[in-house]
Amino acid sequence: MTDPFASPRAAYVHVPFCRHRCGYCDFPLIAGRDDLIGEYLKALELELATVEGRPEIDTLFYGGGTPTHLPPVKLRSLFALLRRTFALAADAEVSVEANPLDLDDQRIAVLVEAGVTRVSLGAQSFDASSLKVLERDHCPEDIADVTARLGRQGLCNRSVDLIFGVPGQSLPQWVQSLDAAVSLGVEHISTYGLTYEKGTSFWKRRDRGGLNPVEEETERAMYAAAMDLLPAAGFEPYELSNFARDQFRCRHNQVYWQGASYFAFGPGAARYVGGIRSTNHRSVTTWLKRVLAGVSAIAESEELTREQRARELVMLGLRQTVGIDVSEFAERTGFPLRELAPAAFDRFIADGLMEEGGGHVRLSREGRFLADTVIAEFL
Amino acid sequence: MSPEFIRNFSIVAHIDHGKSTLADQLLLRTGAITEREFKEQLLDDLDVERERGITVKARAVAIDYIPDAERWPGLAAHLKCAAKPGKPPTFELNLIDTPGHVDFHYEVSRSLAACEGALLLVDAFQGVQAQTVANAYAAVEAGLEIVPVINKIDLPVTRIDEVLDEIETVIGLDATDALMVSAKQGIGIEEVFEAIITRIPPPQGDPKAPLRALVFDSKYDTFRGVITYVRIMEGTLKKGEKIRFMKGGTVHDALEVGRFRPGMEPCNSLGPGQTGYVITGVKEVVHVHVGDTLTMQGEQAAVALPGYKQPQQMVFCGMYPTDATDFEKLREELERMSLNDASFSFSPETSDALGFGFRCGFLGMLHMEIIQQRLEHEADVGLIQTAPNVTYEIKKQRTGEVLHIDNPVDVPESGDIEEFREPIARVNFILPSSNIGIIMQLCEDRRGTYKATEYLGPDRAQLIYELPLAEIIYDMHDKLKSATRGYGTMDYDIIGFRPADLVKLDIMVKGVKVEALAMIVHRDFAERRGRQLVKRLKKEISKHQFEIALQAAIGTRVIARETISALRKNVTAKCYGGDITRKRKLLAKQKEGKKRMKQFGQVEIPQKAFLSVLEAGNEE
Repeated sequence: MTDPFASPRAAYVHVPFCRHRCGYCDFPLIAGRDDLIGEYLKALELELATVEGRPEIDTLFYGGGTPTHLPPVKLRSLFALLRRTFALAADAEVSVEANPLDLDDQRIAVLVEAGVTRVSLGAQSFDASSLKVLERDHCPEDIADVTARLGRQGLCNRSVDLIFGVPGQSLPQWVQSLDAAVSLGVEHISTYGLTYEKGTSFWKRRDRGGLNPVEEETERAMYAAAMDLLPAAGFEPYELSNFARDQFRCRHNQVYWQGASYFAFGPGAARYVGGIRSTNHRSVTTWLKRVLAGVSAIAESEELTREQRARELVMLGLRQTVGIDVSEFAERTGFPLRELAPAAFDRFIADGLMEEGGGHVRLSREGRFLADTVIAEFL
Repeated sequence: MSPEFIRNFSIVAHIDHGKSTLADQLLLRTGAITEREFKEQLLDDLDVERERGITVKARAVAIDYIPDAERWPGLAAHLKCAAKPGKPPTFELNLIDTPGHVDFHYEVSRSLAACEGALLLVDAFQGVQAQTVANAYAAVEAGLEIVPVINKIDLPVTRIDEVLDEIETVIGLDATDALMVSAKQGIGIEEVFEAIITRIPPPQGDPKAPLRALVFDSKYDTFRGVITYVRIMEGTLKKGEKIRFMKGGTVHDALEVGRFRPGMEPCNSLGPGQTGYVITGVKEVVHVHVGDTLTMQGEQAAVALPGYKQPQQMVFCGMYPTDATDFEKLREELERMSLNDASFSFSPETSDALGFGFRCGFLGMLHMEIIQQRLEHEADVGLIQTAPNVTYEIKKQRTGEVLHIDNPVDVPESGDIEEFREPIARVNFILPSSNIGIIMQLCEDRRGTYKATEYLGPDRAQLIYELPLAEIIYDMHDKLKSATRGYGTMDYDIIGFRPADLVKLDIMVKGVKVEALAMIVHRDFAERRGRQLVKRLKKEISKHQFEIALQAAIGTRVIARETISALRKNVTAKCYGGDITRKRKLLAKQKEGKKRMKQFGQVEIPQKAFLSVLEAGNEE
């Protein structure tokens, strides 16, 4: 299942439309150009046509952008395209990212009809002031409303995304957001520390001093709060940013972390097929033009060496709570884990950033705060 | 040639007052160079010199000049020799070019010693500037006949009357007979020639006397070895004879003797008053000392010419290859530089921070910049240059031994120091009167001692200060230029070493002393410098898993401290399908960057941190 050379059993579709580009967002998307939706579906159909046969997959993930920004009719066409391309396994996971305000009953009906099993809500915060800073169009109450309506329609694998470290956000406010998410009764919560990405308006505003990032110590405390609070409420951490109730881990994302292969379609989408990681053009219009002209939409591609694959697997493995199965790792990659960075390995064990146990090596709680520091040494 | 038809002269001027153009114009007029060569500014033959518009190394050229036949009878009456009217004779004019900058003061003095006269060239608009004064004084000191020449009279705006006044008040020369010239347009050039033959005295000297020739320059030629520039004071230098450098004490064959016209033109002998070259087969310029006296081996009566000095290096800095594997290449390049420049020295040194490199010694800041630029232009080696420091003297307790310190690392324990001395320069500023206040403040802030102010006219003044050389070398020139919007000029002269309350400032990173960051400073400034330094370091060293104390200390006493807090959170939130490649590359790059860091104790310091502290021009 985790052989990167095996035929993928996962697929990602990028839907690059949004009402508005939020200040922190650097995803491939185009806001306010709904006129391109038709073209997009046409191009996507062409890109999907490159898939041979009608392979069976276990997970399908619609990300964005905002897939649910599409009008119900277009959304239905999108799902139909994918159904023509792939056969879904009996217990397949079909995830859709959604903006709380988009999910009217009509769209929820489309999701249900299309066999969507999981909805990931871009809730971001339950604190009105943070939502405003983040330039989101919904208010805290909308989140509760939409999760309830999803539940009533039988969509009972619901995740909410939350962002911490929003400028102006206090630790109590964050804890309150976590509490609110827990009390919604959702099945999955992802917590993301806000990052400032080059090219975003947040990046520029921070550079000019117009946006003050929260103190590192506060950010750490916020992350610590998530790690303490969510497990106590029954959400088990399974990756650095992801917490789930029993049975509700996102199977699609675990495909990424296990180093398995996956298809991907749409602007900026990244795939891992036949040992090659490749990424489509990020510009929506470039992607459209190229695909419609019958030219490859791939902007970059890289075939990993055996050692690179091993090192990458350390990165992905350490981010998971379970850590890395040492003997399986050696068997699969041909490299004993420690040999990839012996001095760093020993230091991190001694410093208590990494721990060994049960045949696994994983980040300690302290190590999770400094995951990038640890991982960098293995790359 | 009879000495009465020889004239040896220099042109002295401030930078950009047109020295090279006038020299070329003289060569052009006598057919020594062509129109095309004139355009290519012949005399300054190093790239750096042309770029900076100044002459670094002295050059000499012999020009044949025949006075205008109609004007000759009138001129002959003024000649300070017995030439008869009639057909005008051919004069041999030896133009000995001098390096214009104070760093080369000694070379200037030797070049001037080879002359009987000098043209003092002054820009018709800019007037007397700091180097005009310095060079004119040097010429006066050498006992030369000085002919004031006002250049650039074709400029749309000139201040000729004021400039003449300045020559009289500041330099104390009679400017009544100053020549009016535009070297660029070729105006007044004939008058310059006539002044040279009538106002500058011919050399004296007995061709039969024992040979005494002044070595005033040398250069290295890849094929022929060292070419020694000489001015014959007495006697005759003949090809094929055995000659002796009196100070150097070495004996050689005069393999070739000749004159510069302007290319090298061999001849059989050089007589009294003549200027030319001798090739001896010596391979390294360090064996040919400027200021030395050349004589014939076995000549008894010869007495060495006065004024010989060893060049003294005052400014030092470390030069390191950016890429450690270029070390040998850098050594070769430095060797090549020193082949042609006896005042430049280098020796290998090791720095904790920068690896293997060289400590290099220079006459002054300009000399340093020139060498550095030439390395950059001519050698394919990436260079890291550390902050320059001056040379210090330390008298040790008990033994009384005097150490010459050109690297802060070599400063002994404070308990072993009886006296710490630093070089002092007498600095001469010429600037708009309205800027005197700000420059005085600048000097006071830099431990200057006020000496004098003199008004050169209604709005220009000369300000004289004694300043520690260390305080000048960082950025005094830049500060002067910005404070006076480019109108101020300065010049300095080292007047000796004086005791000062100097200390070695150490930098400690998490308790580990980093020698490469140590510096010598005045005690009163130590705290400020220390604070600046640790603040700058704080910006450059990234957070570690632990807290890092950055301390500046004198001995065991900490005078400044900054703390880099421990890294508390470093984790990227998202790592999904599209993030994997980007994130892997980003973190791999971070790890790669760490390889270029230097480890001090547990702390990794990037090379950039050293540079931000060490590199020149970083004073705040």
